Amino acid sequence: MTFSISINGTKHDVDVADDTPLLWVLRDVLGMTGTKYGCGIAQCGACTVHVDGNPLRSCLLPVGTIGSRAVTTIEGIGATEAGAKVQKAWLDREVIQCGYCQSGQIMSAAALLAANPHPDDADIDAAMAGNICRCGTYVRIREAIKSAAGEA
Amino acid sequence: MRHMSPARRVAIIVVAAVAIVAIGVAAWLVFGPGPLAFAGNSTVALADYHEANPTGVPADLAKADAIRRGEYLAKAADCMVCHTTPGGEAYAGGLAFPLPFGTLYSTNITSDKETGIGNYTDQDFLNAVQRGIRKDGARLYPAMTYTSYTFMTDADALAIKAYLFSLPAVHRPNQDDTLLFPFNQRWGMIFWSWAFNPNTRFAPNTAKCAEWNRGAYIAEALAHCGDCHTPRNLAFALDNRRKFSGAVAAGWRAYNITADKATGIGAWSDDEIFAYLAKGHAMGRGTASGPMGEAVDRSFSQMAPADIRALVTYLRSIPAVASSEPATIAAPAPTSPKEGGAVADALGRRVFAQACASCHSWTGVSALSPVATISGSRAVNDPTATNVAQIVISGTQRFSPGAMSMPAFGSTYTDSEIAAVANYVTGRFGSAASKLTAKDVADLRGQTAR
Repeated sequence: MTFSISINGTKHDVDVADDTPLLWVLRDVLGMTGTKYGCGIAQCGACTVHVDGNPLRSCLLPVGTIGSRAVTTIEGIGATEAGAKVQKAWLDREVIQCGYCQSGQIMSAAALLAANPHPDDADIDAAMAGNICRCGTYVRIREAIKSAAGEA
Repeated sequence: MRHMSPARRVAIIVVAAVAIVAIGVAAWLVFGPGPLAFAGNSTVALADYHEANPTGVPADLAKADAIRRGEYLAKAADCMVCHTTPGGEAYAGGLAFPLPFGTLYSTNITSDKETGIGNYTDQDFLNAVQRGIRKDGARLYPAMTYTSYTFMTDADALAIKAYLFSLPAVHRPNQDDTLLFPFNQRWGMIFWSWAFNPNTRFAPNTAKCAEWNRGAYIAEALAHCGDCHTPRNLAFALDNRRKFSGAVAAGWRAYNITADKATGIGAWSDDEIFAYLAKGHAMGRGTASGPMGEAVDRSFSQMAPADIRALVTYLRSIPAVASSEPATIAAPAPTSPKEGGAVADALGRRVFAQACASCHSWTGVSALSPVATISGSRAVNDPTATNVAQIVISGTQRFSPGAMSMPAFGSTYTDSEIAAVANYVTGRFGSAASKLTAKDVADLRGQTAR
């Protein structure tokens, strides 16, 4: 079955089964490997992308349910206002250690700031709790989010 | 007696009267109507019924051989789910049913001559399925739902036997049950069976349409809906005065599926009931999990659409019985976790944020897939949180096409964390928060078949 999906502003036609998770389409069909595979059961957040601005776990998102909604991945997030701020703060604070989870962390943080420009700790907890970092960069992630929000 | 004082005589008469009334009440409570009594007594023997045959298989299979017909009927009767362990060989038995007085194990019903039913004659098989009597004469417990299968025709039961005998024989010895006295006395079931097994075949109802009769046959003789959904009385027999009004079976709540609009499925559309049975999900009504999820995977999803429609027609006719579930189904929760119910439950909220929000969203309306939407479901609106806790413990592994699975968290989270997240979920997405404790969760873990 052929699906036309909009990713980072570009239309892509892909011929896959309708229950193929978006992550498989991104990585295996389109070669966009910035989005990572972590657990495959929406428990780690590494595969987070935006669909119409909402952070979603692409490992469980069936491609057939996307329709005309706009997908944004780590490759395109820098073109958004919140995404650009987050990426700059991530570099300024040197958040990343091994980096595997970080595209997912950045996508969740960018979605949080786009919806809520001045999040408090509880907002950050609620938005970021589903993104796991094996290296334990949580403290720097929190600082970087506050820095991107202009509060630290 | 001649010298008995009048006061003493009155006392004896009163005691006798009370005893008679008590026996009468007990009998009334225990000996209820049969599962089809609600539809009236315009019944005829199957041979005298001249509409479409309500028994057997769908028309396109009618000319198939007994093995193929038996496969359809075995799936409709859902033999596999109880007679197979998770990951075990099909129909080889061994599933454990923990009861308050010990554990029962399902048996090997493959054609293995030593450990299965390979030596059963046709009559032996009918005796087991319709009458609850084993080949060696021992009585079956009603965990084997022969009080439902008794309505099956001989032809259908024997087609199931032909199908089972066409499958590979599996050598797997049956385990001994661990029931305590007096429950370990199988002969006692002679009296139970005499009282509660009608031992009669399905009799069509001429006051109802052919589709209703087909639905009745599937629901009562094959799918045995009542064995989970009908409450049981003191004698562990189905209380058909409250037919299909919901009960707890094997640690899961089987909801009210009567026509009651508030607590049953009276407000569901035909299409919603059809979708729930055929695919395990109805938009905005929740997703089948636990034993019902297994029934969808192994049984309903395998049935012909016309048979599911017949079931819908039949379910529509079940008299409305109000049950204790909340009459209101809560609307979706607010987008912000700072608003809405249960915000004070810090542990439950933390677990929800870590493990649940990614799929189920803070609103309960999943951004990933409608099958992961929990808002609007009966489970989150059930203040006992029985099924919410069970789903967290065991997840849902669906095999139907298009289905999604949820991971099991039973070995990841402690009993107190599971209790907290269940209380948070019912508080946030339901009409009343549950008050589960760690001990309640431990009890629920102990009640499931495994």
